[in-house]
Amino acid sequence: MEHEISVSPEEISLPESWNKLPMIAGGVGLISLIASYMMGHGSQQFSFSYLTGFMYWLTLALGGLFFVLLHYLARSGWSVVVRRQAEHVMGTLPVFVLLFIPVALGMHDLYHWTHADAVAHDPLLQHKAPYLNETFFFIRAAFFFAVWTMLSMYFRSQSAQQDKSGDPDITQRLQTRSAPGMVLFAVTIMFASFDWLMSLEPHWFSTIFGVYIFAGCVVSIFAFLILLVLQLKGSGALTHIVTWEHFHDLGKLLFGFVVFWAYIGFSQFMLIWYANIPEETFWFDMRWDDPTWRWTSIFLAAGHFVVPFFFLITQWVKRQRLTLTLAALWMLFMHYVDIYWLVMPTLHHEAFQLSVLDFTCWLGIGGLFLAVLFSLMQRSTLIPVKDPRLQESLAFENP
Amino acid sequence: MAHAAVVADIDPVAGRAPLIEGDPSFHDITEVVSAPMEWKPPLGWYIFLGVSLCFLGLFGFSIGWLFWEGTGIWGNNIPVAWAWPIVNFVFWVGIGHAGTLISAVLFLFRQKWRTSINRTAEAMTIFAVMCALVFPGIHIGRPWLPYWMFPIPNQMDMWPQFRSPLMWDVFAVSIYGTVSLLFWYIGLVPDLATARDRATTRTRQVIYGIFALGWRGSFRQWLHYEKAYLLLAGLATPLVLSVHSVVSFDFATAQLPGWHTTIFPPYFVAGAIFSGLAMVITLMVICRVIFKLEHVINMLHFDRMARLILLTGSLVGLAYSLEFFIAWYSGTEVELFAFLNRARGPFAWAYWIMVTCNVVVPQVFWFKKARTHIPTLFIASIFINIGMWFERFVIVVTSLHRDFLPSSWDYFTPTFWDFAFFAGSFGLFFTMFTLFVRFMPMVAMAEVKSVLPQAHVHNRPE
Repeated sequence: MEHEISVSPEEISLPESWNKLPMIAGGVGLISLIASYMMGHGSQQFSFSYLTGFMYWLTLALGGLFFVLLHYLARSGWSVVVRRQAEHVMGTLPVFVLLFIPVALGMHDLYHWTHADAVAHDPLLQHKAPYLNETFFFIRAAFFFAVWTMLSMYFRSQSAQQDKSGDPDITQRLQTRSAPGMVLFAVTIMFASFDWLMSLEPHWFSTIFGVYIFAGCVVSIFAFLILLVLQLKGSGALTHIVTWEHFHDLGKLLFGFVVFWAYIGFSQFMLIWYANIPEETFWFDMRWDDPTWRWTSIFLAAGHFVVPFFFLITQWVKRQRLTLTLAALWMLFMHYVDIYWLVMPTLHHEAFQLSVLDFTCWLGIGGLFLAVLFSLMQRSTLIPVKDPRLQESLAFENP
Repeated sequence: MAHAAVVADIDPVAGRAPLIEGDPSFHDITEVVSAPMEWKPPLGWYIFLGVSLCFLGLFGFSIGWLFWEGTGIWGNNIPVAWAWPIVNFVFWVGIGHAGTLISAVLFLFRQKWRTSINRTAEAMTIFAVMCALVFPGIHIGRPWLPYWMFPIPNQMDMWPQFRSPLMWDVFAVSIYGTVSLLFWYIGLVPDLATARDRATTRTRQVIYGIFALGWRGSFRQWLHYEKAYLLLAGLATPLVLSVHSVVSFDFATAQLPGWHTTIFPPYFVAGAIFSGLAMVITLMVICRVIFKLEHVINMLHFDRMARLILLTGSLVGLAYSLEFFIAWYSGTEVELFAFLNRARGPFAWAYWIMVTCNVVVPQVFWFKKARTHIPTLFIASIFINIGMWFERFVIVVTSLHRDFLPSSWDYFTPTFWDFAFFAGSFGLFFTMFTLFVRFMPMVAMAEVKSVLPQAHVHNRPE
């Protein structure tokens, strides 16, 4: 290396204008949640709207965990300058333990299999009872949260420690531990998807379902990172640190995983459609027979794949502030449509029906998520200042 | 021990390890890679080619006998109407996945270590796809009418049945074969020009010259070349996923328990990459010694491939478990029966070979010592090749041999000709491969030179 690229302290600390954001986001979040509770408590709509919002933000946080694990597993260099934001995103995971409480309390509204009288008349549910029962459901949820909390806290604290000590062994250690971490991540996300989303229709089953949720996680984290870092740059931070070369790469990965999501979604749909076995097809029928759901399904396929595919495929889109922001915002919106499409037909099987609770629950959980995220951002520098690969990342250019 | 020292620094935290050992010059690379094309081949090469040709002959003879006598020479019979031929087809297509993964996907991910192995892996891909295509070609019942599978206008107004997954295979595999061939050839052009320029006889000069397409290494040519390469990599990447996904559709679109499960497409892709990388390791372990390429294809490359094997092997293991779990969770009796029958039925031996080879064996690669220990790599890669053949056998045969009608349940036994076809396909593969290492530059010289430290004036980290 011929010369070191220096980093000025102003560029790597959170801009002043962001200091009030945790308060604002937290306030908005809390008010929205309280309003949602007042408007909807005790109603099925509240539980479903809440689950939709919960899964939306949880999948994003899990995407952050995946990004960090992948960064170490692949021994990446280019992504060092954006990794800290992903660490903060996954840093919100412990909060989801608390945010899970309304899901747990509403589980009788959400999950048909929790009704003893329904199980008594349903041989299939009886068969599944060793897995689908409340005790085991909570044991598993505890396991998932334990794994996610442990992984996110460990990787964050080690990274923060490196900021102080600059010890390269920390990177070495995290690289080694990211591999078993990835195994745990894969297993937990598969079964969490089965538990919290697939079992909404307890008769339905699909082996690829967890992979589909995973694909959504990854799309949302890349979109979110792009947006967050662009905003930071807009406020005058990271100006010379995160360049268009990094955004170009994030955009490429966003594009790649948009295609991956479509590949997994298509595989699931096509195989079920083609084999045409009623015990599987009813799940898609619920999203197709009614014209409003049918248009939602078509909108999902077009908006989550076709449009962003043609939009993101050109190079200049990934290297312009306006276009990249649009793409990221759009994908974050479509991710909501995706989660909504997975959850809501169970409640509103007769027709698509928006509720104000859908919005307030999403906003409420999102507000708390962002409040935690912003306050984590205040507490450390915006990049891992002593990462041994920082120089490599700063000097990064697309070949 | 010198070996330990080398192993110790393939993963530095600061900077990146040099990809080629011994700090060779550009010219050294040209010399060492061109040598096998310019040597008088050693006796061993002739012996290996001879043995491969014998097996190729067996393949030809078996195909002749098949055409004369009919498919009755195989063990295929109701209920196991699909057996070894389709197993061999999927096996070879799977092997053919590593080439494009290494050349396209790893290229897009800027994994520069790929340069040492991509040429051979791509060649392996093309030969594997050739072997694969033979099987459906001879298994269509009327082998003189394969053109019916292509949408060619004809006087009978015949049109392919596009609703059949087997038709999708024709398109998926032939597109894959074509793009792999193009990709391989584009990458070869600068190296063929080197071979042309070094030619000592007129014949070599003319033949390499024709295929080098007038390459002069000018700035403009390199510019076009690199653009074409990037575009092809972009086009080939979805193909890595699509081919084996479409192959998995052959099974997964059916209603047969054990075949119909939605995770098949990504699970088949992971398995294919897994088996392809194992085959690359098997071949590389031998070739690097024979052709004195130990410093070009070194422990760093094996370490990276072993990591990918561990990743894909674990994905395959996860898919096996999910299949089993959902078979139970679905509450469908036949589904659960099919899976229990795999693990406990008459073909349990095949199932447990599969699990041992594909899930247990690759776990040794958690350890760096195993990832950089040649005998371990070689033995594990052989086990994985065996395991992946058995995976397809388990999927095809165990799902069929006990179908919905218990009165027609039967045990499948292969015949001599089943073995002959399988061994014969290896004959085709190794004949092609033996010729390749003799007449083609088996390492992408131009690309390896681009990752040498002196190729970077500013010496930026790679």
